[in-house]
Amino acid sequence: MIPLDQVVGLSALLFALGVYGVLSRRNAILVLMAVELMLNAVNINFIAFATYLAPDRATGLIFAIFIIVVAAAEVGLGLAIILRIYRNERTANVDEVDQLKW
Amino acid sequence: MLLPLPMPRAARRYQRLHPTAWAWWSALAGTIAIGVFVAIVAVIFAILDINGHFDPGNAWIMPVFTGVAFILLVLFRNFLPRKGDFISIFAIAGALTIFFFVLHDFVGGYANGAFTVYRSGFDWLNVGDFTLRIGFYVDQIAIVMLFVVCVVAFMVNVYSTGYMKGEPRYGWFFAMLSLFATAMMTLVLADNFLLMYVCWELVGFCSFILIGFYYERRSAIEAAKKAFITTRAGDVGFLIGIILFWRATGTFDIQTIINAAVTHKISDAYLITATLFLYLGAVGKSAQVPLHVWLPDAMEGPTPVSALIHAATMVVAGVYLVARTLPIFEAAPGCATVVLVVGVITALMAAIIAIVQTDLKKVIAYSTISNLGFMMAALGAGTVTGAMFHLMTHAFFKALLFLGAGSVIHATGTQEMGEMGGLGRKMPWTALTFIIAGVANAGIFPLAGFWSKDEVLKGVLDHQNATYLILLLAWVFISGVYTMRMIKLTFFGRPRDAHIYEHAHESPPNMLLPLFVLAILSVVAGFVAFEGVGQALGFPGGFGRFVTPYGEAGEVLQVVYPLAWGATALALLGFVVALYYWAGVGERAAAVARALPDLYDLVRNKFYFDDLYQALVNYGTLGVGRVVAWFDRQVVNDTGVDGTAGLTGFTGYELKLTETGKIPTYALYIALGVVVLAFVAFSVYGK
Repeated sequence: MIPLDQVVGLSALLFALGVYGVLSRRNAILVLMAVELMLNAVNINFIAFATYLAPDRATGLIFAIFIIVVAAAEVGLGLAIILRIYRNERTANVDEVDQLKW
Repeated sequence: MLLPLPMPRAARRYQRLHPTAWAWWSALAGTIAIGVFVAIVAVIFAILDINGHFDPGNAWIMPVFTGVAFILLVLFRNFLPRKGDFISIFAIAGALTIFFFVLHDFVGGYANGAFTVYRSGFDWLNVGDFTLRIGFYVDQIAIVMLFVVCVVAFMVNVYSTGYMKGEPRYGWFFAMLSLFATAMMTLVLADNFLLMYVCWELVGFCSFILIGFYYERRSAIEAAKKAFITTRAGDVGFLIGIILFWRATGTFDIQTIINAAVTHKISDAYLITATLFLYLGAVGKSAQVPLHVWLPDAMEGPTPVSALIHAATMVVAGVYLVARTLPIFEAAPGCATVVLVVGVITALMAAIIAIVQTDLKKVIAYSTISNLGFMMAALGAGTVTGAMFHLMTHAFFKALLFLGAGSVIHATGTQEMGEMGGLGRKMPWTALTFIIAGVANAGIFPLAGFWSKDEVLKGVLDHQNATYLILLLAWVFISGVYTMRMIKLTFFGRPRDAHIYEHAHESPPNMLLPLFVLAILSVVAGFVAFEGVGQALGFPGGFGRFVTPYGEAGEVLQVVYPLAWGATALALLGFVVALYYWAGVGERAAAVARALPDLYDLVRNKFYFDDLYQALVNYGTLGVGRVVAWFDRQVVNDTGVDGTAGLTGFTGYELKLTETGKIPTYALYIALGVVVLAFVAFSVYGK
């Protein structure tokens, strides 16, 4: 099998790409995509630990399913908010939605 | 007393009484009041007069009389007829009466060549090794002081009914006179330094109130402040001395401390320091150089106040302190000499200043400072007898001088001798008593001053070297000069202001009577110097043995006639000099002043002591004030308060820029926070 640290490394790499995406994307939907990427990276991490360190227990797998469900709900909610903002401000650019500033 | 104002019928709030009804009810009330008074006196005597014998230790009842009068006057003076001045008079008269009982039973305690000392009192507060005791110690010195205080206070009380008539706050004046009498008598009777200090400050307070009695006048307020602050400077020294003695002996009791000092239980250096600090209090209170500057300014107060407080009683508190603790001064090497030297300097300096003063009360004030210096010099030379004797005679003729001056001021409305002259013709009785007082002051035979001055000079001759004697004889001469100058400018010659001379009149009887009594005392008080007189009055062994403290077989009052005649001759020479130089309109004196302008300015400006102190205040106190004010403005206000506010605002202005409102910014903060937490977690929890 592939050594555990390489799988965790993959997960970390994906997570870092996701963080980069959250911080640098201008479009709000692309930010949500990057968040999805982060959640999936975390999922890989959980599955890896479950498979390699406790194969007889289903704890990690169940946690991963939880995360999928939460991710789905969160994306639905996030898209709803973005649509609302677009209807009011005519833009989906996160840099331009800054009314709550000093 | 009845309805003084014409009021319309509807405005009267009470039914008008028939005059007969008023008479009947007043008589009844008066009888009841007298009956209550007699009953109280009888009860007091029954309590204290056990076995037909009045224990002199119970002399504390005397200040209680005046203390009760004070309380009554403070509370009820506005509701009493005549604002209650009679209460003050009755109280001091009562105290004087009790005094004679005390005196009678005190001299009755004479046995084996010494008088018994009486003590009483109780411990009020005991905390660890600190005891606050209200105790009384009655010995010969206390008896003499009580006599002086009671007599002069009584005379001043009676005199004030005439002098202060019509003045605002008339009742309050008598209340303060009673409070002063209480404090002074308790001071004299105190057996421990703490009680004495409390009363010391209390008489200083009374002096403050009474000097500033006419507080509508700026100068009166300034003078009261000056008096209090100057004596306070001395009192701080007094307190330090008391504390030093307490640390050395563990007690405040005066006799214990004297014992410890005399038996050398305290090291020399410590003893000298403590004694000199103690002496500072006397310097302030008894107006010795350099703390004498308050007394001339204290003339801003009403003249009865000057007579009572600043001539006869409060200012001699310092002399009393030194007299009481003289064994300490003699046990500490050099301290008695300090007292002597300062006394002589004070006497001479004040007498010289008195010669050029134009304000009548100021001349008498400087004369008082001068005589206080003389009394202190007597103590420094080692003769308590002479000092106490002079204290007594001086009190009488100095109070008489002040009251006489008050009579003149009351009649003429001015204090400047430049506006007086020839008043002897318009005010014969005042002039007569004033001249008697002046002659006694100068020390001419056979008046009281002659005997007491001789006693002091004899003491100086016996115990010290001739230099001091010569200086004091010079002082006698100068005293003669200023005394005769004062008398001549006021009562003789041509009147200098016609309007004032026109309106001058003799004073009413309630002002003249104290003058007569004090004049008689000024004449006869000196005769107790003779053993025969003393014994006839009931003092075994004469008055000389009476004023000898601490049970020593004491000096008998002896008159050294050559010295006495010499002093009298000098005083008479002073009279002649004064009459010569101030003859007519004083042209010869003015010529001398013109011939020596610098010397005249020096003396006229009172040797620039006031200027010195003002400069000290300006540079010293105000200088320190300026530094502190700078610190308060610059550091506390600008840097501290304003600075903190500014810093807070600045920080806020800069930090608010983090609230961009942009989501990516906040996402970045979250990411950064996670990274930091990860680092911390790894470093704390390791691998």
